[in-house]
Amino acid sequence: MTLTVCYYGLLAERRGVAEERITSISCTAAALYQELDASYQLGLAMTDLRVAVNDEFVPWHHPLAANDTVSLLPPMSGG
Amino acid sequence: MSIRFSLVSEVIDTSSLAAELTDPAAGAVVTFDGRVRNHNAGQAVDRLEYQAYPALAISTGQRILEEEAGRHGVLRVQAAHRTGLLAIGEVAVWVGVAAAHRGPAFDAARAIIERLKYELPVWKKEIYSDSSTAWIGPDNKSTETGQAESGIPQWDAELLEIWISAGNDFRGRHELGRQEHGIHSVSEIECVAGMGLRGDRYFGFKPDFKGQVTFFDADAVQAVRDQFSQPDLSAAVFRRNLIVRGVDLAAWTGKRFCFQGVDFEASEECKPCYWMDQVVGPGAEEFMKQNFRGGLRARILSNGILRVS
Repeated sequence: MTLTVCYYGLLAERRGVAEERITSISCTAAALYQELDASYQLGLAMTDLRVAVNDEFVPWHHPLAANDTVSLLPPMSGG
Repeated sequence: MSIRFSLVSEVIDTSSLAAELTDPAAGAVVTFDGRVRNHNAGQAVDRLEYQAYPALAISTGQRILEEEAGRHGVLRVQAAHRTGLLAIGEVAVWVGVAAAHRGPAFDAARAIIERLKYELPVWKKEIYSDSSTAWIGPDNKSTETGQAESGIPQWDAELLEIWISAGNDFRGRHELGRQEHGIHSVSEIECVAGMGLRGDRYFGFKPDFKGQVTFFDADAVQAVRDQFSQPDLSAAVFRRNLIVRGVDLAAWTGKRFCFQGVDFEASEECKPCYWMDQVVGPGAEEFMKQNFRGGLRARILSNGILRVS
């Protein structure tokens, strides 16, 4: 299925892009991150990240559907 | 609108935000501005860049303000966070709270800024004088090398003893003599968000109570034993709930943390009272006022069970 992936902060720098359209067979957010980490050596542990799908925080086991926007969020640092 | 979070790409207009806090029922207005500092962790910082995930930052910020306004019972809340490049001294984040009284105004403002640091999807990049850069995690540690646990910080501490008591022995008993409700130790205890430790005297004591639970450092127990030559003194005499080891309690005032899967918000030092002189010996109150030996009071934010390590 086709997905949009958005990267922020350090992850955007590691990946080299802030956003991309990809085709994936990963059916959960966790599987997608493992796939992307294997391809691009993103290098951050999943336990240190949060993930959002379609502008809402979701748990890593959240199932993905075609055309979802998956956002990978490194540790936040407001303030 | 009386509660509003905004994400701002230009200089934050703090006077307009402050004007939104005007309320005839407000006896207290607390405002905080977080500014760009010229150094971090020993390095000279030239400027900062904040990147945000706008849709999620706005919804998350708004949710935090509404939750804290409700929890602390305040009248108006305004907060804003910057994005883009910021120079030294610029306001990066601003929080303003109007409440009937100063207690809830301070508490809500503190809780909001602490949560914005950990929960708002905003990322800070430091740009140093030598033009190198680093993405920073919460607590201003590098995302790459620091502990980057997401959500609130975890306590890596041992829980040595749990003490609960059904009633107050000292509180409100000035010149009346102590009560003898007794205090007993348990190996596990249920924490109930916003209420306290089930079975303890402060369970459901009053809304938003600052002392739903008290933490006490095992090193303070030992220090009192040594100072007053009472090697067998039980930690029970202090009438604090959780005796812990391996955490600097003083460093957590006003902050959130997770301990054994339960979320807490530290409120303030648990100041010792004169009863300590009676149960330990003359000078105990003064001794415990030093080095944060009185322990830490906290609110419970999530449900769970604590167990002796």
